[in-house]
Amino acid sequence: MLSSGPAKKVTIFINEDTQHHLTALHDSILTFLLHKGVAGATSTRAYAGFGSHRLLHTPKIEVLAEHLPVRIEFIETAAKVDEVLPTLYEMVSDGLIEVQDTTVVKLARKQAKPEAGAPHERKAGAAKLLRVFLGENDRWHEEPLYDAIVKKLLMMDIAGATVYRGILGYGAKGHEHKASFLHPMRDLPVMVSVIDTPEKVAAAAEAIEAMLQDGLIVISDAEFVRLVRASRGTEA
Amino acid sequence: MREAFPARMLQIHIGERDRYQGKPLYEAIVARCREMKIAGATVFRGVEGYGETAQVHRAHLARHEQPIVVTIVDTAENVARLMAAVEDMVDTAALAVSQVEAVRLQKTLTSDKG
Repeated sequence: MLSSGPAKKVTIFINEDTQHHLTALHDSILTFLLHKGVAGATSTRAYAGFGSHRLLHTPKIEVLAEHLPVRIEFIETAAKVDEVLPTLYEMVSDGLIEVQDTTVVKLARKQAKPEAGAPHERKAGAAKLLRVFLGENDRWHEEPLYDAIVKKLLMMDIAGATVYRGILGYGAKGHEHKASFLHPMRDLPVMVSVIDTPEKVAAAAEAIEAMLQDGLIVISDAEFVRLVRASRGTEA
Repeated sequence: MREAFPARMLQIHIGERDRYQGKPLYEAIVARCREMKIAGATVFRGVEGYGETAQVHRAHLARHEQPIVVTIVDTAENVARLMAAVEDMVDTAALAVSQVEAVRLQKTLTSDKG
């Protein structure tokens, strides 16, 4: 099963009109990959190109528009690629197969909305609670730091994060953060709170530490009870 | 500057309308923290809650009586010192202390307090 992290990317270059057992080769390859349970594959028709026959295929001249290139790409785990590669090697009689290392950053699939009346699944256990104290005015590459932290945590697949705005406070910068009706101040204290497993929280703390200029990170033990509404589909 | 140390976190749960010598109690607590050279204090306002009086605190158009939490992170001694002081100031309140690992970062400003 493909997941975020290191993976292999396979690219196949063939001719649009190459035949394979009475069908087009590119169709045949896609069908084969589908049956093998490959996560996804894309076949793209090229605008122009040339290959080992040293003949430029271009739509500008009708006679040369027949053998336009087709490019099939898919990304899978190394094991899956090893499994399908021998067959692809045999199928591609005229063309090129290339494999390269890649990194999957995001692999998202739209999930069906859980039913309103579905029962809750109860998860409980020991966890760590991380709190970060910063200022509302703190910036990270021109965007609010608390925004940047939440986005970063989301990318790291941390279970959840909540941002709180304080109404009064002082700390690392030594000045008082306070807003009143006549003097609304835009540097109020902000706290980001995160709960996850000890390993995940340690990774999150390290990432936040690199982004935070002045502030305080606090980690404590926590017992958590999580209620997850069971989704209709099978959980991946 | 990066400073990692075991610390205590104190959370004081009070009401927005609680007063101490004429001014809001949470302001008085933060002022006391400053006097006592506590590293920092942050005041949060809750959306809704109930406590000692079992009366739901909620925001109204004219009347606010929302829950307030003052959060303080410092060494065990400082927190113990502060708790004694706060206990004298408050009427009804809930104080919760927990054990934490703290990391203090100060990359831009050089501390003038030493």
